[in-house]
Amino acid sequence: MPRTEVQPDERSLRRARRERVLAAMAAEGVDVLVMGREANARYVSGAPRLWTAGSRAFGPGCVLVRESGAVHLLSTWDEGVPEEIPHENLYGISFNAANFLDALQRVEGAASVRTVATDGLTPSAAQLLARSFPSADLVDGEPLLRRVRAVKTPEEVEAVRASVRLAEHALSEAVAALGPGVTARRLTGVFLEAMAAAGVTTPASQDVAWVPSRVHPGRRGGRDEPLESGDLVAFGAGVIASGYAGEVGRTKRIGEGEADEAERALRRDQDALWGRLLGACRPGATATGLLDAYDAVGLAPPPVPVARGLGLGFDLPLVTHALPELAAEQRLEEGMVLALTAFVWKEGRGAVYGQEPVLVTPSGPELLSTDPFQEARSQA
Amino acid sequence: MPAGLMASAPAAGSTLIPPEADLARMRHQRVERIRDAMHAQGLDALVLLGNTNVVYATGVVWPLADSGRAAFEQPVAVVLADDAWPHLFSSMSVADPERSDLPPDHLHGPVFLDFDQGVARFTAHLAELVPAGAAVGIDEWTNALRRDRSLLFGAGDPADGGRVISRAKLVKTPDELACMREGLRITESAIAEVQTGVAPGVRQTELTATFLRCIFEAGADANVLDPIWQVMPPRLADGPWTTTGDLACPLLSTERVLVEGDVLWVDTGISAGGFHSDFGRTWIVGRGPDARQRAQFERWQAIMAAVLDVTRAGSTAADLTAAAVDAAGGVKPWMPHFYLGHGLGIDSAEMPYVGSDIGEAFDAGLVLTEGMVLVLEPVVWDDGAAGYRSEEVLVVTDDGWEPMTDYPYDPF
Repeated sequence: MPRTEVQPDERSLRRARRERVLAAMAAEGVDVLVMGREANARYVSGAPRLWTAGSRAFGPGCVLVRESGAVHLLSTWDEGVPEEIPHENLYGISFNAANFLDALQRVEGAASVRTVATDGLTPSAAQLLARSFPSADLVDGEPLLRRVRAVKTPEEVEAVRASVRLAEHALSEAVAALGPGVTARRLTGVFLEAMAAAGVTTPASQDVAWVPSRVHPGRRGGRDEPLESGDLVAFGAGVIASGYAGEVGRTKRIGEGEADEAERALRRDQDALWGRLLGACRPGATATGLLDAYDAVGLAPPPVPVARGLGLGFDLPLVTHALPELAAEQRLEEGMVLALTAFVWKEGRGAVYGQEPVLVTPSGPELLSTDPFQEARSQA
Repeated sequence: MPAGLMASAPAAGSTLIPPEADLARMRHQRVERIRDAMHAQGLDALVLLGNTNVVYATGVVWPLADSGRAAFEQPVAVVLADDAWPHLFSSMSVADPERSDLPPDHLHGPVFLDFDQGVARFTAHLAELVPAGAAVGIDEWTNALRRDRSLLFGAGDPADGGRVISRAKLVKTPDELACMREGLRITESAIAEVQTGVAPGVRQTELTATFLRCIFEAGADANVLDPIWQVMPPRLADGPWTTTGDLACPLLSTERVLVEGDVLWVDTGISAGGFHSDFGRTWIVGRGPDARQRAQFERWQAIMAAVLDVTRAGSTAADLTAAAVDAAGGVKPWMPHFYLGHGLGIDSAEMPYVGSDIGEAFDAGLVLTEGMVLVLEPVVWDDGAAGYRSEEVLVVTDDGWEPMTDYPYDPF
């Protein structure tokens, strides 16, 4: 059904999320949580706000108080704001730090709370928070938020599934535009147009289509170079719908011809890699198994992370060959959703890049996309 | 139909804006400015995490992602007081050595500063670049960075590195102006196609769909703002509650179907060549303005003309706000949660802010200089019949100003 009004996230979804954060605050003795990252603010408040591209410097975008469960939100208007956040807890857009000081000092107990956690800081925000909460220690709120957010509720899994469906739909439109002479730029435009025409105007990434280099695994052709028959083009199709990221990655060949032997070899290696990667997605396993999967099938580490959490914003786990110590510390848990990457590159032919959203369950990994491997076989 | 801003521009004379930018010179001049500002602040090194600050310092441009996704592999720049080239820590999809002019030994892999392990990697690199005890500034930090006591946080919180960039980017070089004008042209070419599709029965999101395809086809690197096609209520009281008691704007676009006579306030922006653009107009769905709407537009034009009349190097922001208030009959013709005008550059809104809630004393002390880019966005509200709002982008000159945009006011 078309969404014709700005609505907050479902009551049950936002209540479940907020209660999990409040429980974690209680367990860790955090009195007040101040969030700058949009996904954290959305997780706690359930309010959609304006999407902008690029990283944002920390600012007090949303405040959660443990004792009362009250949410204070940076919003000049009440459209899309859940009913449990009263008008007096909204503070507006401002360019003047004094106004944020005023808003934060109105948070109940601001003068006396002992522990305030944040998800980032800037030099000026550090001063602002010190003045707003004069009795408090400023501590790291990210581990708490990451732990809570990494494991999804069933309702959240459905939200990711819906986002993935939309990403796949828009991707199919971009794939339909493939042909000799097309550029990565054109494919990006077609993908984003199809996404918005389907009712969602916010991409996860605008790095949608690229041509893997034949001479270096990490490099790419230019966005404006016309593609020729036989060229491989990689898609990173990601959308943000209702706050949740849905992402898939696929690699297609330009033109009607059959795959050459080099491409078939790439795809055979990728199939073997997928088997290993999916086999490593067991609850309780460390993320190191995902790194080892590449070595096990004789492939070099990819130039991108092997896995990222998929959900609202920056999500655990982050599994990259660049940080093996981090992978060893991270354990996969039931209810985590991973964007899992199978990347295979051979000099002279380029790369096949695949990324699939996977839910970790007790009975093994569950794909949240629609049978990607059938598609892979049809290309091979 | 009146033409755009060019029609009211002062007599054509010398232009500040060259037809094409010399990108290598532009990047070189930026690093010089950053290093000058560092010297003034006594900094030996500057660490930058903010996406647009990294773009400014390195000249490397990539398609900006959703703000949450952007945190996964956030590129980091390091500028040294004694080095003409910045260092960049990022993946090769951001900084391809073939397309970046940074020396290869200044390109490093991504560092993942959200994690202690990533911070350890980064500070090990940094220790090779910066001697112990050096004065280091930083624009923002993750909690993992703050735990590290080796270089940045050894003696309390580090210096505010964001101020270095704010100062450096305030006045645009001619090369930067040429780049910005190209981004504005891309935006306007996409908007022109969107506007031909505005009709009763069309959804707001369909306008976004056309806009997104067109900006990429015309050369954008990324969209930077979920485009606004806000249907304005006739009366203020018909809109959402606000903290200010004034208008709620910008409100998010949905699959709402447009109907004849809807008054749309349009607001969008893109990223091209590392610069953000801005665009704002008022449209009416399916028909032309009636007499009352035309009168709104004429009042808006009069306010804009009054502000432009005092816009020149040496004027203060307060001179501009005073001219606007005077032309509007004694009221502030802008939304109180925004401003009469703002700067534009590597960010969608940056200094100089004109008429913001920083206050009148700030405006009185803010002196315009040649090369500052301003987006002026006065608002005329006519309760009962909605109102008119448009944005114009210009560069301040010693004699006055020069237009950077020329989109027509159709259907007014």
